[in-house]
Amino acid sequence: MYFRILAKDHVSTFVEGLAHVYEVFAPVKNESGFSFEQVSDGSSIVLDYPMTIIPPKKYFVRSKESLFRYDTHSGDVVESELEVTPRVLFGVHACDINALLMTDKVFLGDYEDPYYKARREHTLIVGVSCMPVLTCMCDTWGTGEVQQGCDLFLTDLGDRYFVTCHSVEGAHVLDTFADTHEATAEDTKALEEHLRAFREAFSRPVDATSLQLLFDAKYNDELWEEIGEACLSCGACSAVCPTCYCFDVNDELDADGNAGARVRCWDSCMNSQFAEVAGGHDFRPTRASRVRYRFYHKFWSYPARYGKTLCVGCGRCDVACKVNINPRRIIGALQEGARS
Amino acid sequence: MKKTHVPVDSSQAYRELRQNPYRPWPARITSITKLTDTETLFELRIIDHKVREQFNFNAGQFMELSIFGVGEAPISISSAPSKKGFIELCVRNAGSVTGALHKMRCGDIVGLRGPFGRGFPFEDMKGHDVLMVAGGLGIAPLKSLINHIHDERHEFGKVTILLGARNPSEILFRQQFDMWRHRDDFNLIMTVDTPDETWDGEVGLVTKLFDQIEVDPAKTVGVICGPPVMYRYAIDEMRKKKLPVDRIYLSFERRMKCGIGICNHCGIGHKYACIDGPVFNYWEAMNLQEAM
Ligand SMILES: Cc1cc2nc3c(=O)[nH]c(=O)nc-3n(C[C@H](O)[C@H](O)[C@H](O)COP(=O)(O)OP(=O)(O)OC[C@H]3O[C@@H](n4cnc5c(N)ncnc54)[C@H](O)[C@@H]3O)c2cc1C
Ligand code: SF4
Ligand code: SF4
Ligand code: FES
Repeated sequence: MYFRILAKDHVSTFVEGLAHVYEVFAPVKNESGFSFEQVSDGSSIVLDYPMTIIPPKKYFVRSKESLFRYDTHSGDVVESELEVTPRVLFGVHACDINALLMTDKVFLGDYEDPYYKARREHTLIVGVSCMPVLTCMCDTWGTGEVQQGCDLFLTDLGDRYFVTCHSVEGAHVLDTFADTHEATAEDTKALEEHLRAFREAFSRPVDATSLQLLFDAKYNDELWEEIGEACLSCGACSAVCPTCYCFDVNDELDADGNAGARVRCWDSCMNSQFAEVAGGHDFRPTRASRVRYRFYHKFWSYPARYGKTLCVGCGRCDVACKVNINPRRIIGALQEGARS
Repeated sequence: MKKTHVPVDSSQAYRELRQNPYRPWPARITSITKLTDTETLFELRIIDHKVREQFNFNAGQFMELSIFGVGEAPISISSAPSKKGFIELCVRNAGSVTGALHKMRCGDIVGLRGPFGRGFPFEDMKGHDVLMVAGGLGIAPLKSLINHIHDERHEFGKVTILLGARNPSEILFRQQFDMWRHRDDFNLIMTVDTPDETWDGEVGLVTKLFDQIEVDPAKTVGVICGPPVMYRYAIDEMRKKKLPVDRIYLSFERRMKCGIGICNHCGIGHKYACIDGPVFNYWEAMNLQEAM
């Protein structure tokens, strides 16, 4: 691996250099918290942020987008202009990078989603290390570190970053736009200390041993009724979740009726009607069945299909849910029941 | 059964052609046959001749039908793969897309993409007796299978079709099936819940017809397609006839928004009805939460 050291003083210049060639998006502070926004000026970005409200998935699957336009009479389809301006997402946490690797499996599976693919291929990702807050549980899923899925990763060593180059494009922009120097034995020591501090900062461990079996066996547990009763079906948990990706597709007609667009927008399996079919039959008619579906998708179905849990432990749903429904509590409740 | 079945997988074609899998091909309505008050058979022809010539599918697969300006709906292909150049869809007027289709005329343009999903294991079924149970609109995908078996009839043993509908006026393809009742290469039995004065067939639920048939469990493949409530009962009957769990095939309906395994609307346990189904064998279905 190619390692470099980037002094924190030099981050602004790096970002501004990137902004000459790429659209750069980075976390900035606003009234309600932190969010990824386009930046041109390196001083506005905040790299030691706890979490953004909306994860970076919004850059790959837009909350609403036109897939294509058509002529309603001839049926001629005009491909949507894909917005594939080269971009950099600067300052993405390890959990959110790992979340993209999970959505990759879905959007770049047997059938490739051309919109997602084009954006993914034209986006450089610069990751940044973080320290856990109370809601974090990346220690449970091993998603607090990055092995792939980004181009550069910056680990905070106090006054400087330890930069790991994961791709040649990453190394190239680093060499071109950043003033860096070689890592010394002292930097490696500081890295070691950072990693120890990071490991020790997790205070609420979750034991996920045999989780799939537990979920499978407790499919009909009364817990789901209780949780379903509490859930407001607001969908906030899916909107903020970096690994939730369900979408809906609808047609929107121009005012003159001669042309229109096929539009997709984020959906949530927590919405009633998500699984309703003709004749009024609904495969998940109750709130309990929908909450259960969301958790089974994350902890049972996705792992059964792709070999990994569909949760990176970012804790966003924990913050967003007004009635305290989150993976930590659900897993705990399933295990508690198992003990009694 | 030997596992030689290779379904038509359009993902390969979409990938090789760098074709956007969300993009429908314009297709022209070439004929419209009203079947009942609510169901109509539409014959469609994809306009692009290259796409049309390469088009191939298995019985049991489905298309995503677009009405531009209204939306899309998954519809099973009703015609047999041997009918080249045209695709038949048997459609019930059930909502916005299917309602708009029912207002269209010959020559009008719709959109099609597909074929999607895993159909019936036609090749693996060869050499076997086939027992099909269809309720209501469930005959739509089975019609493709029946016609395909008809094309290669010598490859199959005994073929039995049990067909149920609520009343005689709701029987789809009734003319054809009325004639088939007297064939000796297909054993077709029809039943209705509520008969009328024209009816001389059976009365009662389709599962009642199991009393009338002989099944050799060692060499029979079962196929079931119908409304959600029918599966349980039809499976029970097939199990009573000692059919093994992995030789009973079911076709499922789910809400679908993409047809290509991405939108997550059609999830059944860890499978997707759109790419892993809609046809599953009963063993697979038994192991899927929410399957039945
Ligand atoms: C694999 C597969 C194969 C199929 N094959 C066939 C076939 O061969 N022939 C056929 O006729 N059908 C078939 N279907 C069923 C067909 O796709 C559905 O009936 C589809 O919903 C029709 O679309 P629509 O736009 O006309 O109806 P929609 O407008 O989607 O409405 C249909 C029904 O869905 C519910 N619904 C949908 N949206 C809403 C909403 N926003 N609010 C409230 N309720 C809503 C309602 O119960 C309504 O009656 C198949 C389905 C699948 C999955
Ligand atoms: S389920 Fe919650 S903790 Fe897990 S990735 Fe989604 S928002 Fe983060
Ligand atoms: S679990 Fe919480 S955030 Fe999610 S839909 Fe229910 S109430 Fe809303
Ligand atoms: S229809 Fe979208 S995943 Fe099956």
